[in-house]
Amino acid sequence: MNQLIADCREMLTEQVQYRDLLYEMTRRDLLIRYKQTIMGFGWAVFMPLVNTAVFSVIFTRVAPISTDVPYPLFAFCGLLAWNFTASTLRSSVTSLTSNAGLVTKVFFPREIFPFSAMLVALVDLVVGSSVLIALMAWFGVAPSRYIVYLPLIVVVHVVFTAAVSLFVAMANLFYRDVKYIFEVVITLWMFATSVLYPVRTMAGRLGTVLRLNPMTAIIDGYRDTLFGARPPDWASLGPAALLAVVLLLAAWVQFHRSEFEFAERI
Amino acid sequence: MSESVIAFDGVWKKFRRGEHHDSLRDLVPALVGRFTSRRKPALDDNEFWVLRNVSFEVRPGQALGIIGPNGAGKSTALKVLTRILKPTRGTARLHGRVGALIELAAGFHPDLTGRENIFLQGAIMGMRRDDIRRRFDEIIEFAGIPDFIDTPVKRYSSGMNARLGFAIAAHLDPEVLLIDEVLAVGDYNFQQKCYARLEEFRNAGIPIAFVSHNMQAIATLCDRVMLLRAGQEPIIGDVPTVLAEYVSSKGSLADPRLRVLNAVITESTSGNELSGPIPPGASLVLDIEIAAEVPLLRCGVLLQVVRSDGLMIFTGMSTLDGLPEIDLQPADRLRARIQFSASVLRGTYMVNVQLVDTLRQWSAAVINGVCSFVVTETTRVSGCAELQPSYDLSVARSSMPLVSSQSVPSGRL
Repeated sequence: MNQLIADCREMLTEQVQYRDLLYEMTRRDLLIRYKQTIMGFGWAVFMPLVNTAVFSVIFTRVAPISTDVPYPLFAFCGLLAWNFTASTLRSSVTSLTSNAGLVTKVFFPREIFPFSAMLVALVDLVVGSSVLIALMAWFGVAPSRYIVYLPLIVVVHVVFTAAVSLFVAMANLFYRDVKYIFEVVITLWMFATSVLYPVRTMAGRLGTVLRLNPMTAIIDGYRDTLFGARPPDWASLGPAALLAVVLLLAAWVQFHRSEFEFAERI
Repeated sequence: MSESVIAFDGVWKKFRRGEHHDSLRDLVPALVGRFTSRRKPALDDNEFWVLRNVSFEVRPGQALGIIGPNGAGKSTALKVLTRILKPTRGTARLHGRVGALIELAAGFHPDLTGRENIFLQGAIMGMRRDDIRRRFDEIIEFAGIPDFIDTPVKRYSSGMNARLGFAIAAHLDPEVLLIDEVLAVGDYNFQQKCYARLEEFRNAGIPIAFVSHNMQAIATLCDRVMLLRAGQEPIIGDVPTVLAEYVSSKGSLADPRLRVLNAVITESTSGNELSGPIPPGASLVLDIEIAAEVPLLRCGVLLQVVRSDGLMIFTGMSTLDGLPEIDLQPADRLRARIQFSASVLRGTYMVNVQLVDTLRQWSAAVINGVCSFVVTETTRVSGCAELQPSYDLSVARSSMPLVSSQSVPSGRL
């Protein structure tokens, strides 16, 4: 237990000490991504918009489903939130292995790699939110007083994503299979989450299983707080938040303890 | 606040040959192995010690040179110090803010401009953003690339890249300094600037650990040297002694075409076998006895003296001095006595002997590092040859008051 506290203290001290590096790494990734592009940050909203258009055609014309708010708004909100997690994880998986030169040569807390990947995705999320606000105005959907819970949802989302990103970055360093498995898992996971259809209204055993997915709780939480119909569903959000915190602690401590092996095993 | 220090206390580090289990397929047997065999023995079949019982301590104002052949563990030692690697046994101590001059351009991203990369690389080396901003102009000035600072680094020449990397590192404010063979970059002037900077750091009382293959640089900067040897314990001592050990152990692989029966170097005035440093200009005698294993025909004896940094000081051959060629049949013995004058300045020198086929102009047999000698002196500024200058100076006092522009000695103006 004392060891755990000492580790946690060291982890946090390192992050404070290297906070400028986290900033610079995030800046680097943002700069590189949009250098020599014409659309720049437009790309951050382009993919969710295209997906929204495609799925809107499918789920309003081909196989209509009922949602609380107009389907394009429902889907865009889901995709925006999902993309934050998916793109964080996608960059994190290879973040250590593609920076092998730094990992084997220079000392600094390696958490910086997945964390900066997450900050980059967070910038995309913020940029995408402006489109979400525009869509809400277009469809005449206004938030209610439940919006006060929005920051809480964001925190749970960030904590959960950080935990998983540390885990996948570390796992891929030791076993390169992870990056292949990841592509399959992330696709399946998206369809098991209420990104494009409401899991909440699903009946039967499958519905029960799918509601255990913390990402469903988080994305439904966004919709509940933003679109104003009802307060967040604490019964599913509470366990998700607890899981997120425990996972982050476990993944980060494990990451920190195996950090010294990274240079040898990469 | 403890004093800044770089130290190893009995550090051992184990590495593994071949591959780790890198995919999930190999994980299962590895896990089973771990649970069944509990504690592993000290060293597996495919493991080896890269560092064996290494201990040293570098205090403020001191500089330790780390030398050794490739693969002897020099970089590993620095990585253990910087906490990238964890020692298998023993502890590494490093007190003070670390400046690690290792892979100076490791963090550069080719698509970013010089300016953007300065902030990135600086942060990777642990600099505060404000510090970088404050010293930004100095860094550009030191690197000498003010015109290209807003150009992407991918368009830089490799020299510019390296200079920018060193310039950033040179403006860290370290309390301890670790350097890994990073000065072999840039042109002559830039290298001089780098060494001057390192000496400034040392004189400011910053402990330095310096890995290099440049023995002259080691001799200039460091007061002690550690020689790492693969699979053996290191040798630590003062610079000339350890360098002499290094250069003579380095190439002493004898040629299979002959056997060295005896090789002794003596000081000709005293007649004693050489032990310890000699002054410039000392007369030395190399006695060497060789047995041929194959026919070595029409041979001249070639003497070569090389400084520890690879500078060729002298090559001469008996036949060019008018001596007859030598024919050796298998089991014949050649006894050679070569007298020469060590008219060189301070440094460590290695003596090579070759038998050269005078007809075909190739080396019939080579004995590198047959012996070595160390020269010390403190009267010369720098250089390699002792030219024994004599100065005859006289000052003619002018009775006229001095007018500076006209006081230039006569001649063409």
